[in-house]
Amino acid sequence: MTDAALAPDRPTMLPRLYAGAAIVVLWELVVRGFAPSYVATPFGIAMALPRVLADATFLKATAITLGAVAEGLVIALAIGTVLGLLIGRSLVADRALRHYVNACYAVPMIVVLPLVSLWFGYTGAARLATIVFAASFSIAVNVADGARAVPRDYLEVAHSFRSSEGRALFEIVLPASMPYFLAGLRLAAGRALIAAVVAEFFTAIPGLGYFILYNSRVFRHNDAFVAVLLLGGFGVGFDALVNYATRRYLPWYRRADGDN
Amino acid sequence: MRRDLVVRYAPFTLSLIVGAALWEIGGRYTSAAFLVPLSETLVRLEQLVQSGELVRQTLSSLALFFVGLGLAALVGAPAGLALARWPALRRALDLYIMILYATPMVALIPFILSLMGFGFAPKVLVVFLFAVFPILYNTVEGARSLKPELIEVARSFRSSEWALWRDVVMPYTLPFAMTGLRQAIGRALVGMIAAEFFLSSTGLGQLIMTASQNFDTGGLFAAILVIVVLGVGLMRLGRAIELHYARWRV
Repeated sequence: MTDAALAPDRPTMLPRLYAGAAIVVLWELVVRGFAPSYVATPFGIAMALPRVLADATFLKATAITLGAVAEGLVIALAIGTVLGLLIGRSLVADRALRHYVNACYAVPMIVVLPLVSLWFGYTGAARLATIVFAASFSIAVNVADGARAVPRDYLEVAHSFRSSEGRALFEIVLPASMPYFLAGLRLAAGRALIAAVVAEFFTAIPGLGYFILYNSRVFRHNDAFVAVLLLGGFGVGFDALVNYATRRYLPWYRRADGDN
Repeated sequence: MRRDLVVRYAPFTLSLIVGAALWEIGGRYTSAAFLVPLSETLVRLEQLVQSGELVRQTLSSLALFFVGLGLAALVGAPAGLALARWPALRRALDLYIMILYATPMVALIPFILSLMGFGFAPKVLVVFLFAVFPILYNTVEGARSLKPELIEVARSFRSSEWALWRDVVMPYTLPFAMTGLRQAIGRALVGMIAAEFFLSSTGLGQLIMTASQNFDTGGLFAAILVIVVLGVGLMRLGRAIELHYARWRV
């Protein structure tokens, strides 16, 4: 983005603040006027916030869910990168595996819940399996795109200097597909978060999803909504982190639609 | 030409055959509660088709899917256009749209359940919430790049407001909305199954739930197979729509 394009964006904090205040006031008024008293309102959430944040069960639930998401993402990274590199660099693997990967990517991930709970029982392992399933294929699809998009010239130069296949893979293909990898990781993180929450709804094992489910069932919507805010915060935070990393460490990369 | 076709489709067909064989063999050597062979799944699938249950449940799921997605498009696209036309509105709201886009909407299902209970409307709301923010988000991202000069030129040629919408705002913004629609299709599918799992049980979600509760693993795999086909088909449709509208953007 040029400076000229950035300049008119600077005084945007004020309209945003007004809009945010309007949303909050509208929410409060609509709920007070038309909804049952247990429904979450901004005021109620603000009141519940200190209590929930100091609550040991809430903190533990957060740690468990985030731990599972992180663990699942690491496994998914390994699976997704290997699958993606295979599909992106080998024509045979592409023809043989791509439709499986695409199918697994296109299928709504939560259909595997009954199956994984059948296989792993109502345990943390079922949640982990759901996260891995949800996250792996978005990484694989993106890494494959990235590995395919490596400029042919780079590889030709490497080969004419008698570089081995392995070195070309690690020193050219992997770095060149980094932006795609990060885009896949961003998608995967969002999907992993959803998978963790859904798995906790389904299997009723402790975690943020279960915290939301339980508190909304006993009509403590304000408490439950604190967890929703936290989940939203993680979603936004991870997006921002990946965007920042792309701009900071991969400044040579411009997305095709010119918006970066 | 023929050789080309062989080279092109041989690995594909072969991998399908290998996949089917692995499934069949794996199914025969494990407990039936874990995995049933492909052949048994297909038999069960045929039973479900014969009894008419599969068709009925698929239609019920599709009704939910298209009503929710349709509402999301009806709300999302015009709202996106308005955001493109009035940059002040866009600057005020883009942050909130981005936040809602990144928030996992599944987390709202328990609230919707206790507020709206069971029925068709809460499920439509779930699908709608899953689908509307990708459309809005992508439209806003597109609208950001709509150059003010385009509108200024149109204005200086004394374009009417309607002509401005028809010839500048809509053609410019719609392709981005269509990218959003493609993403929305994927998310709406998740929303559809989530609604059918966690709200009142209907459609393909119900088929899966009853099969897993009855330890009818064959039925479970049959239902998942149908959803895979549905998912891949709808994603293809989404991509086709996006490409159709995105021709000029490339």
